[in-house]
Amino acid sequence: MEELDLLKKAWKKEERSFDQVSEKDIYGMLHQKSSSIVKWILIISIVEFAFWNVIAFLFSDEKYQDKLQSYGIEDFMLVVNVINYVIVVGFIYVFYKNYRSISTLDSTSKLMQSIVSTRRTVQNYIWYNLFIITLTIVISIVMMFSHNPDMISLMNKQVAEGHESVFICFCVVISLLFIAVIIGVFWLFYKLLYGILLKKLFANYKELKKIEL
Amino acid sequence: MSQDLEQSFVKQLKENQNIIHKICRLYTSGEDAHKDLFQEITIQLWKAFPKFRGESKFSTWAYRVALNTAITLYRKSTRSIATSSFDTTNHFIKQEEYNYEEEEQIKLMYQAVYQLNDIEKALVFMYLEDKDYEEISETLGISQVNARVKMNRIKTKLKKILNP
Repeated sequence: MEELDLLKKAWKKEERSFDQVSEKDIYGMLHQKSSSIVKWILIISIVEFAFWNVIAFLFSDEKYQDKLQSYGIEDFMLVVNVINYVIVVGFIYVFYKNYRSISTLDSTSKLMQSIVSTRRTVQNYIWYNLFIITLTIVISIVMMFSHNPDMISLMNKQVAEGHESVFICFCVVISLLFIAVIIGVFWLFYKLLYGILLKKLFANYKELKKIEL
Repeated sequence: MSQDLEQSFVKQLKENQNIIHKICRLYTSGEDAHKDLFQEITIQLWKAFPKFRGESKFSTWAYRVALNTAITLYRKSTRSIATSSFDTTNHFIKQEEYNYEEEEQIKLMYQAVYQLNDIEKALVFMYLEDKDYEEISETLGISQVNARVKMNRIKTKLKKILNP
Protein backbone atom coordinates (compact mmCIF):
# COMPACT_ATOMS: atom_id res chain seq x y z
CA MET A 1 0.00 0.00 0.00
CA GLU A 2 1.79 3.09 -1.19
CA GLU A 3 -0.03 5.49 1.13
CA LEU A 4 1.23 3.55 4.13
CA ASP A 5 4.78 3.78 2.78
CA LEU A 6 4.30 7.47 2.29
CA LEU A 7 3.22 7.67 5.91
CA LYS A 8 6.28 5.69 6.91
CA LYS A 9 8.49 8.27 5.24
CA ALA A 10 6.70 11.11 6.99
CA TRP A 11 6.77 9.16 10.27
CA LYS A 12 10.54 8.93 10.17
CA LYS A 13 10.93 12.62 9.46
CA GLU A 14 8.59 13.51 12.28
CA GLU A 15 10.94 11.95 14.79
CA ARG A 16 12.97 15.15 14.80
CA SER A 17 10.02 17.31 15.73
CA PHE A 18 8.99 16.05 19.18
CA ASP A 19 9.54 18.41 22.08
CA GLN A 20 12.37 16.72 23.94
CA VAL A 21 11.93 15.95 27.62
CA SER A 22 14.88 16.84 29.85
CA GLU A 23 16.52 14.59 32.43
CA LYS A 24 15.08 16.81 35.12
CA ASP A 25 11.57 16.25 33.75
CA ILE A 26 12.12 12.50 33.75
CA TYR A 27 13.33 12.57 37.37
CA GLY A 28 10.14 14.43 38.21
CA MET A 29 7.99 11.84 36.48
CA LEU A 30 9.56 8.94 38.37
CA HIS A 31 8.12 10.28 41.57
CA GLN A 32 4.63 10.77 40.20
CA LYS A 33 1.89 8.28 40.97
CA SER A 34 0.81 5.78 38.39
CA SER A 35 -2.85 5.77 37.36
CA SER A 36 -2.80 2.41 35.63
CA ILE A 37 -5.74 0.03 35.83
CA VAL A 38 -3.57 -2.53 37.60
CA LYS A 39 -3.12 -0.11 40.46
CA TRP A 40 -6.86 0.52 40.61
CA ILE A 41 -7.63 -3.17 40.59
CA LEU A 42 -5.23 -3.64 43.50
CA ILE A 43 -6.78 -0.80 45.51
CA ILE A 44 -10.36 -1.90 44.86
CA SER A 45 -9.50 -5.53 45.64
CA ILE A 46 -7.92 -4.66 48.98
CA VAL A 47 -11.00 -2.61 49.85
CA GLU A 48 -13.20 -5.57 48.88
CA PHE A 49 -11.27 -8.09 50.95
CA ALA A 50 -11.38 -5.68 53.88
CA PHE A 51 -15.07 -4.95 53.42
CA TRP A 52 -16.16 -8.58 53.61
CA ASN A 53 -13.96 -9.26 56.59
CA VAL A 54 -15.35 -6.25 58.44
CA ILE A 55 -18.87 -7.49 57.66
CA ALA A 56 -17.98 -10.91 59.04
CA PHE A 57 -16.42 -9.32 62.12
CA LEU A 58 -19.46 -7.12 62.80
CA PHE A 59 -21.80 -10.08 62.68
CA SER A 60 -19.80 -12.21 65.06
CA ASP A 61 -20.61 -10.28 68.24
CA GLU A 62 -21.40 -11.92 71.54
CA LYS A 63 -25.16 -11.74 71.19
CA TYR A 64 -24.85 -13.65 67.97
CA GLN A 65 -22.70 -16.28 69.66
CA ASP A 66 -25.29 -16.65 72.45
CA LYS A 67 -27.99 -17.10 69.89
CA LEU A 68 -26.02 -19.82 68.12
CA GLN A 69 -25.52 -21.53 71.45
CA SER A 70 -29.23 -21.44 72.18
CA TYR A 71 -29.85 -22.99 68.77
CA GLY A 72 -27.30 -25.66 69.59
CA ILE A 73 -25.26 -25.14 66.43
CA GLU A 74 -22.23 -23.46 67.93
CA ASP A 75 -19.85 -26.28 67.05
CA PHE A 76 -21.23 -26.53 63.58
CA MET A 77 -20.77 -22.78 63.04
CA LEU A 78 -17.24 -22.93 64.40
CA VAL A 79 -16.32 -25.53 61.78
CA VAL A 80 -17.98 -23.41 59.09
CA ASN A 81 -16.01 -20.39 60.27
CA VAL A 82 -12.69 -22.21 60.17
CA ILE A 83 -13.39 -23.48 56.66
CA ASN A 84 -14.44 -19.99 55.67
CA TYR A 85 -11.17 -18.45 56.87
CA VAL A 86 -9.12 -21.08 55.08
CA ILE A 87 -10.99 -20.26 51.88
CA VAL A 88 -10.55 -16.50 52.37
CA VAL A 89 -6.80 -16.92 52.93
CA GLY A 90 -6.71 -19.11 49.82
CA PHE A 91 -8.41 -16.38 47.81
CA ILE A 92 -5.98 -13.75 49.04
CA TYR A 93 -3.03 -15.99 48.22
CA VAL A 94 -4.27 -16.66 44.67
CA PHE A 95 -5.01 -12.96 44.22
CA TYR A 96 -1.52 -12.01 45.36
CA LYS A 97 0.04 -14.61 43.07
CA ASN A 98 -1.96 -13.39 40.07
CA TYR A 99 -1.18 -9.79 40.89
CA ARG A 100 2.54 -10.50 41.09
CA SER A 101 2.43 -12.25 37.73
CA ILE A 102 1.23 -9.12 35.95
CA SER A 103 4.22 -7.94 33.96
CA THR A 104 4.48 -5.26 31.33
CA LEU A 105 7.29 -7.31 29.81
CA ASP A 106 4.91 -10.05 28.73
CA SER A 107 3.20 -9.99 25.38
CA THR A 108 0.07 -7.85 25.24
CA SER A 109 -2.12 -10.92 25.12
CA LYS A 110 -0.47 -12.52 28.15
CA LEU A 111 -0.56 -9.25 30.09
CA MET A 112 -4.27 -8.86 29.47
CA GLN A 113 -4.88 -12.46 30.53
CA SER A 114 -3.05 -11.89 33.82
CA ILE A 115 -5.09 -8.77 34.54
CA VAL A 116 -8.36 -10.51 33.69
CA SER A 117 -7.53 -13.48 35.91
CA THR A 118 -6.52 -11.20 38.80
CA ARG A 119 -9.86 -9.49 38.56
CA ARG A 120 -11.65 -12.81 38.23
CA THR A 121 -10.20 -13.99 41.55
CA VAL A 122 -11.77 -11.03 43.30
CA GLN A 123 -15.01 -11.53 41.42
CA ASN A 124 -15.13 -15.17 42.53
CA TYR A 125 -14.42 -14.02 46.06
CA ILE A 126 -17.46 -11.78 45.91
CA TRP A 127 -19.67 -14.57 44.54
CA TYR A 128 -18.37 -16.81 47.28
CA ASN A 129 -19.34 -14.23 49.88
CA LEU A 130 -22.79 -13.80 48.39
CA PHE A 131 -23.16 -17.57 48.51
CA ILE A 132 -22.15 -17.57 52.18
CA ILE A 133 -24.65 -14.80 52.91
CA THR A 134 -27.40 -16.77 51.18
CA LEU A 135 -26.44 -19.90 53.09
CA THR A 136 -26.42 -17.99 56.38
CA ILE A 137 -29.85 -16.56 55.69
CA VAL A 138 -31.25 -19.98 54.82
CA ILE A 139 -29.74 -21.58 57.94
CA SER A 140 -31.03 -18.72 60.10
CA ILE A 141 -34.54 -19.15 58.77
CA VAL A 142 -34.51 -22.90 59.32
CA MET A 143 -33.09 -22.40 62.81
CA MET A 144 -35.64 -19.73 63.58
CA PHE A 145 -38.48 -22.06 62.67
CA SER A 146 -37.16 -24.91 64.74
CA HIS A 147 -35.63 -23.12 67.75
CA ASN A 148 -37.02 -19.63 68.23
CA PRO A 149 -39.87 -19.83 70.80
CA ASP A 150 -41.74 -16.84 69.31
CA MET A 151 -41.55 -18.39 65.90
CA ILE A 152 -42.67 -21.77 67.17
CA SER A 153 -45.73 -20.32 68.89
CA LEU A 154 -46.54 -18.28 65.80
CA MET A 155 -46.18 -21.39 63.70
CA ASN A 156 -48.43 -23.37 66.05
CA LYS A 157 -51.01 -20.63 65.77
CA GLN A 158 -50.86 -20.81 61.98
CA VAL A 159 -51.14 -24.61 62.11
CA ALA A 160 -54.17 -24.32 64.40
CA GLU A 161 -55.78 -21.92 61.97
CA GLY A 162 -54.91 -24.14 59.04
CA HIS A 163 -52.68 -21.55 57.29
CA GLU A 164 -49.49 -23.56 57.69
CA SER A 165 -48.50 -23.93 54.05
CA VAL A 166 -49.44 -20.35 53.17
CA PHE A 167 -47.33 -19.09 56.03
CA ILE A 168 -44.29 -21.16 55.06
CA CYS A 169 -44.65 -20.04 51.43
CA PHE A 170 -44.85 -16.45 52.55
CA CYS A 171 -41.67 -16.77 54.64
CA VAL A 172 -39.79 -18.49 51.79
CA VAL A 173 -40.85 -15.86 49.24
CA ILE A 174 -39.83 -13.00 51.52
CA SER A 175 -36.43 -14.57 52.14
CA LEU A 176 -35.87 -15.27 48.46
CA LEU A 177 -36.77 -11.68 47.60
CA PHE A 178 -34.39 -10.43 50.24
CA ILE A 179 -31.55 -12.58 48.88
CA ALA A 180 -32.34 -11.58 45.29
CA VAL A 181 -32.23 -7.88 46.16
CA ILE A 182 -28.86 -8.22 47.92
CA ILE A 183 -27.33 -10.17 45.03
CA GLY A 184 -28.88 -7.81 42.50
CA VAL A 185 -27.42 -4.74 44.18
CA PHE A 186 -23.94 -6.25 44.34
CA TRP A 187 -24.09 -7.52 40.80
CA LEU A 188 -25.06 -4.08 39.53
CA PHE A 189 -22.39 -2.37 41.62
CA TYR A 190 -19.60 -4.59 40.32
CA LYS A 191 -20.87 -4.48 36.78
CA LEU A 192 -20.60 -0.69 36.93
CA LEU A 193 -17.31 -0.56 38.82
CA TYR A 194 -15.37 -3.00 36.69
CA GLY A 195 -17.33 -2.16 33.59
CA ILE A 196 -16.04 1.39 33.66
CA LEU A 197 -12.55 0.43 34.75
CA LEU A 198 -11.99 -2.37 32.27
CA LYS A 199 -14.07 -1.34 29.29
CA LYS A 200 -11.06 -0.49 27.16
CA LEU A 201 -9.12 -3.55 28.24
CA PHE A 202 -11.96 -5.92 27.41
CA ALA A 203 -12.49 -4.32 24.02
CA ASN A 204 -8.82 -4.75 23.18
CA TYR A 205 -8.72 -8.24 24.62
CA LYS A 206 -11.65 -9.27 22.43
CA GLU A 207 -9.98 -7.73 19.42
CA LEU A 208 -6.80 -9.69 20.06
CA LYS A 209 -8.76 -12.92 20.50
CA LYS A 210 -10.55 -12.24 17.25
CA ILE A 211 -7.24 -12.12 15.40
CA GLU A 212 -6.34 -15.54 16.74
CA LEU A 213 -9.61 -17.16 15.67
CA MET B 1 23.12 1.80 44.18
CA SER B 2 19.50 2.83 43.66
CA GLN B 3 20.72 6.27 42.73
CA ASP B 4 23.00 4.77 40.07
CA LEU B 5 20.07 2.77 38.78
CA GLU B 6 17.94 5.89 38.59
CA GLN B 7 20.67 7.82 36.83
CA SER B 8 21.26 5.10 34.29
CA PHE B 9 17.53 4.79 33.65
CA VAL B 10 16.99 8.52 33.19
CA LYS B 11 19.93 8.77 30.81
CA GLN B 12 18.77 5.88 28.64
CA LEU B 13 15.18 7.04 28.66
CA LYS B 14 16.20 10.49 27.56
CA GLU B 15 18.13 9.05 24.65
CA ASN B 16 15.26 6.79 23.65
CA GLN B 17 12.37 9.10 24.41
CA ASN B 18 11.21 9.30 20.82
CA ILE B 19 9.86 5.76 21.07
CA ILE B 20 7.45 6.98 23.73
CA HIS B 21 6.66 10.18 21.87
CA LYS B 22 5.74 8.17 18.79
CA ILE B 23 3.41 5.91 20.75
CA CYS B 24 1.78 8.93 22.36
CA ARG B 25 1.44 10.41 18.90
CA LEU B 26 -0.71 7.49 17.75
CA TYR B 27 -2.66 6.87 20.94
CA THR B 28 -3.50 10.35 22.14
CA SER B 29 -4.59 13.66 20.76
CA GLY B 30 -3.66 16.99 22.24
CA GLU B 31 -0.65 18.06 24.25
CA ASP B 32 -2.06 17.24 27.70
CA ALA B 33 -3.02 13.70 26.79
CA HIS B 34 0.37 13.22 25.15
CA LYS B 35 2.15 14.32 28.34
CA ASP B 36 -0.13 12.21 30.51
CA LEU B 37 0.53 9.00 28.59
CA PHE B 38 4.24 9.85 28.34
CA GLN B 39 4.36 10.07 32.12
CA GLU B 40 2.48 6.81 32.67
CA ILE B 41 4.78 4.98 30.26
CA THR B 42 7.81 6.45 32.04
CA ILE B 43 6.49 5.21 35.39
CA GLN B 44 5.81 1.73 34.01
CA LEU B 45 9.27 1.58 32.41
CA TRP B 46 10.85 2.62 35.67
CA LYS B 47 8.87 -0.04 37.55
CA ALA B 48 10.03 -2.69 35.10
CA PHE B 49 13.60 -1.40 34.90
CA PRO B 50 15.05 -3.65 37.65
CA LYS B 51 14.12 -6.58 35.40
CA PHE B 52 15.97 -5.09 32.46
CA ARG B 53 19.26 -6.92 32.37
CA GLY B 54 20.77 -5.42 29.29
CA GLU B 55 20.38 -8.65 27.33
CA SER B 56 18.41 -6.78 24.74
CA LYS B 57 18.75 -3.18 23.70
CA PHE B 58 17.04 -0.65 25.91
CA SER B 59 14.94 0.42 22.94
CA THR B 60 13.69 -3.10 22.17
CA TRP B 61 12.78 -3.58 25.80
CA ALA B 62 11.10 -0.17 25.99
CA TYR B 63 8.91 -0.82 22.95
CA ARG B 64 7.09 -3.60 24.65
CA VAL B 65 6.48 -1.91 27.99
CA ALA B 66 5.43 1.31 26.26
CA LEU B 67 2.99 -0.39 23.91
CA ASN B 68 1.55 -2.51 26.71
CA THR B 69 1.00 0.59 28.76
CA ALA B 70 -0.77 2.40 25.94
CA ILE B 71 -2.99 -0.55 25.00
CA THR B 72 -3.62 -2.23 28.32
CA LEU B 73 -2.80 -0.25 31.42
CA TYR B 74 -3.65 3.27 30.41
CA ARG B 75 -7.19 4.15 31.41
CA LYS B 76 -8.04 7.34 29.64
CA SER B 77 -10.06 6.91 26.52
CA THR B 78 -8.34 7.58 23.23
CA ARG B 79 -11.41 7.31 21.07
CA SER B 80 -12.72 10.83 20.92
CA ILE B 81 -10.27 12.64 18.73
CA ALA B 82 -11.26 16.06 17.50
CA THR B 83 -10.49 16.87 13.89
CA SER B 84 -8.65 20.01 14.92
CA SER B 85 -5.88 17.98 16.49
CA PHE B 86 -4.71 16.84 13.07
CA ASP B 87 -3.20 20.24 12.44
CA THR B 88 -0.13 19.08 14.25
CA THR B 89 0.67 16.85 11.30
CA ASN B 90 1.75 19.88 9.31
CA HIS B 91 4.83 21.00 11.11
CA PHE B 92 7.37 18.44 9.99
CA ILE B 93 6.73 18.97 6.29
CA LYS B 94 7.50 22.63 6.34
CA GLN B 95 11.24 22.27 6.62
CA GLU B 96 11.28 20.00 3.60
CA GLU B 97 10.47 20.79 0.06
CA TYR B 98 6.86 21.81 0.09
CA ASN B 99 4.69 19.28 -1.59
CA TYR B 100 1.09 20.20 -1.06
CA GLU B 101 -0.41 17.06 -2.51
CA GLU B 102 1.83 14.78 -0.51
CA GLU B 103 1.18 16.72 2.65
CA GLU B 104 -2.54 16.42 2.14
CA GLN B 105 -2.25 12.70 1.57
CA ILE B 106 -0.22 12.19 4.75
CA LYS B 107 -2.74 14.16 6.71
CA LEU B 108 -5.53 11.95 5.43
CA MET B 109 -3.49 8.86 6.26
CA TYR B 110 -3.05 10.02 9.84
CA GLN B 111 -6.76 10.64 10.11
CA ALA B 112 -7.42 7.14 8.82
CA VAL B 113 -4.98 5.57 11.28
CA TYR B 114 -6.66 7.43 14.13
CA GLN B 115 -9.89 5.65 13.28
CA LEU B 116 -8.33 2.24 13.87
CA ASN B 117 -8.70 0.49 17.21
CA ASP B 118 -5.87 0.15 19.74
CA ILE B 119 -4.67 -3.24 18.52
CA GLU B 120 -4.71 -2.20 14.89
CA LYS B 121 -2.78 0.92 15.79
CA ALA B 122 -0.17 -1.24 17.50
CA LEU B 123 0.32 -3.23 14.29
CA VAL B 124 0.55 -0.05 12.22
CA PHE B 125 3.00 1.41 14.72
CA MET B 126 5.30 -1.57 14.47
CA TYR B 127 4.97 -1.56 10.70
CA LEU B 128 5.98 2.10 10.58
CA GLU B 129 8.89 1.25 12.85
CA ASP B 130 10.07 -1.44 10.42
CA LYS B 131 9.55 -4.26 12.90
CA ASP B 132 9.39 -7.72 11.38
CA TYR B 133 6.47 -10.09 11.87
CA GLU B 134 8.43 -12.13 14.37
CA GLU B 135 8.70 -9.16 16.71
CA ILE B 136 5.12 -8.07 16.07
CA SER B 137 3.88 -11.55 16.90
CA GLU B 138 5.99 -11.75 20.07
CA THR B 139 4.98 -8.33 21.28
CA LEU B 140 1.26 -8.81 20.85
CA GLY B 141 1.19 -12.51 21.65
CA ILE B 142 -0.40 -13.62 18.40
CA SER B 143 0.96 -15.98 15.75
CA GLN B 144 3.05 -14.64 12.89
CA VAL B 145 0.58 -15.86 10.30
CA ASN B 146 -2.27 -14.10 12.05
CA ALA B 147 -0.22 -10.93 12.44
CA ARG B 148 0.37 -10.95 8.68
CA VAL B 149 -3.29 -11.60 7.91
CA LYS B 150 -4.34 -8.83 10.29
CA MET B 151 -1.86 -6.38 8.76
CA ASN B 152 -3.32 -7.06 5.31
CA ARG B 153 -6.81 -6.50 6.66
CA ILE B 154 -5.72 -3.23 8.20
CA LYS B 155 -4.34 -2.09 4.85
CA THR B 156 -7.68 -2.91 3.23
CA LYS B 157 -9.48 -1.10 6.01
CA LEU B 158 -7.31 1.98 5.61
CA LYS B 159 -7.93 1.95 1.87
CA LYS B 160 -11.64 1.83 2.51
CA ILE B 161 -11.47 4.74 4.95
CA LEU B 162 -9.46 6.77 2.42
CA ASN B 163 -11.71 5.93 -0.53
CA PRO B 164 -15.18 5.38 0.87
